Amino acid sequence: MSWSGFKKSLNRTGTTLMQKTGQMERTVDTEFQDETTKFKTYEKECQALQKESKAYLDAMRAMTGAQTRIADHISNFYQAADRTSEGAMAAHAYKQSVVELDDVIGRELDAPYRTTIMEPIGKMNAYFPIVNEQINKRNKKLLDYDAARSKLRKVIEKPSEDPTKLPKAQQEHDDAKDVFELMNQQLIEELPQLLELRVSFFDPSFEAMIRMQSKFAEEGYEKLGGVQRYFADNVRDDYAEGQLDAQVERVLQEMRELSICGAA
Amino acid sequence: MKGMIKAVKRTPHLVTSKVGMSKKSTDPEFDDYQRKFTSMEDLVEKLLKDCKKFNEAVIALFTAGQGFSEHFSQIFHPIVGEYDLVGKFPETRDTVQNVDGLATVWGELRNAVSPELELIESRIVTPVKELQGVMKQIRKSITKRDHKLVDYDRFNNSLTKLRDKKEKTLNDEKNLFKLEQDFEVATNEYDYINTAMKNDLPRFMMLAVQFIDPLYHSFYYMQLNIFYMILEKVQGFAQGKYDVSVATAQIGQEYEEKRSDAWERIENMSITKRIISTSKMMQASRQNSTGSGSTLSATSRAPPPMRSPSGSSFTKKAPPPPPSAFGSKAADPAPPSYAASTGALASAATKRAPPPIPTKPKPKVEPPVQYVEALYDFAPQADGDLGFNRGDRIEVVQRTDSAEDWWTGRLNGQEGVFPGNYVRDV
Repeated sequence: MSWSGFKKSLNRTGTTLMQKTGQMERTVDTEFQDETTKFKTYEKECQALQKESKAYLDAMRAMTGAQTRIADHISNFYQAADRTSEGAMAAHAYKQSVVELDDVIGRELDAPYRTTIMEPIGKMNAYFPIVNEQINKRNKKLLDYDAARSKLRKVIEKPSEDPTKLPKAQQEHDDAKDVFELMNQQLIEELPQLLELRVSFFDPSFEAMIRMQSKFAEEGYEKLGGVQRYFADNVRDDYAEGQLDAQVERVLQEMRELSICGAA
Repeated sequence: MKGMIKAVKRTPHLVTSKVGMSKKSTDPEFDDYQRKFTSMEDLVEKLLKDCKKFNEAVIALFTAGQGFSEHFSQIFHPIVGEYDLVGKFPETRDTVQNVDGLATVWGELRNAVSPELELIESRIVTPVKELQGVMKQIRKSITKRDHKLVDYDRFNNSLTKLRDKKEKTLNDEKNLFKLEQDFEVATNEYDYINTAMKNDLPRFMMLAVQFIDPLYHSFYYMQLNIFYMILEKVQGFAQGKYDVSVATAQIGQEYEEKRSDAWERIENMSITKRIISTSKMMQASRQNSTGSGSTLSATSRAPPPMRSPSGSSFTKKAPPPPPSAFGSKAADPAPPSYAASTGALASAATKRAPPPIPTKPKPKVEPPVQYVEALYDFAPQADGDLGFNRGDRIEVVQRTDSAEDWWTGRLNGQEGVFPGNYVRDV
């Protein structure tokens, strides 16, 4: 912190203290408080939105990524057990389709997702620290203004011997007032605008999100759906009826009865 | 304790065989089975791990989907003291009115997916863990077999050594007799377990296929169902409100077109700029105060670049109509299935939802990849155009009935649109 910055912060601490103890008048500004409250609410929502949108993208990639690996393991399992079985062929088709899916999601959805979701949200979130800085600065300038005003009042109430004191205090007061009012005015004018613009700003993202969610599901469903034709005809019904689970159980039981499983 | 003694007895042999001093028998047939078995152990382990990852990713996806739509909806709701967003921003009416709907959709989806995930847990993960248990037993037997082999080898070695000894002492003779006996026992034990292995391991492999078949089929349908759930819900929601059949490339493009001047207006605000110094700011403000009095500059911005194909460079042919024509036409046939099985989700609460694809055209013939040949050179004129040279073979991704239109094609790994009248069928 620079020397002048340090001096400023020291003076301001003094002002806050005197205001807290009631020795100095403090400007009450409900209009500004209202606007900042709304702004803070909005900031929080945007940050949450950013987190969720990132999580969604990551989860999409993680899901198809995990599927690719699962398909890989299943296919390799067939390779080790019996590479000529019918299942091995289906597993191979499955592997191909999820690899394609993973590829499509990564290649085709990633870019639009970034353009339509991540970037606008990121851009909006990048404004918040700047606006917050403006708000902080405005609050500091308000303290300065309060201090200068109280000083001026004292000089007026108790005129000093020194004739230069009054004009000097007056000048300081006017300067502080100007600075504060400029910043205050900007914030009061622009904060509501910023908030209102959010609606038009984010509007097109919504349609894009729905389209991408739909696309993701559609790709997944279609790519995977094609694998079915490698299955025997009864598989689908067997699945629905829970037959497949029974098969799994039966095979596990047979395995346990093998002599090398310690059954003998 | 007995095991300890055995282990101590085996150690010298293990050392000497490692350094190549004593002979070690191998059984290539068994080794082959064991190699396969080992890789299966590894795969089962990985499969479990990735099943877990998959489940986590699905949960994350649905949670984030819900979270996103909820927070998005919050942003499109009045914030403290605001009112009538639609009245103020009529152009965003659709979004304002639909944000809640999407949040509901994802809320429902999140609820609907948990039984599906439980299915994966109980029908996939649990059996695979049981398989792992079985394989651990077999691994134990393999270890036992290895020990028996060590016994066999070490008695064999000692015996050979002793037999080869030219001058045997009395003690040696006694030992020889004992060793012969030990060797016979070891041989029997080893043969027994090794034969059992060679009989049972192939049998196990066969059973493993019988195990993975239904398991993989179940898992497949569970995965398919998750996609189907999103597809059905989101498209059902979008129906009549949003056109979701556009190509992925177009999503970003249309977004850019719809992007309003809000970006620029926010950019141009004073409060979104870093403060350089207060005194400079005051100066600027004083200079401005003679003019507008406000530092806010709401410069209106030129509309985003619209795509207008310039026909000037086409001399031979009439330029194809602008590509916007094909956005609406993308009559991409929706997956054939959903109409028939809309009830699938509702019944998800029952034991299991029937998998979504009802009619199965078994040898479903994929439309063959179609190629066209370029008759002329075509240089891209805008983003998304597919450039090519005369004679190139282009894979057709999407075409319309009219050649006076933009078609979508793929060439050298790039996808884009091109005028249909620049090519001919091959």
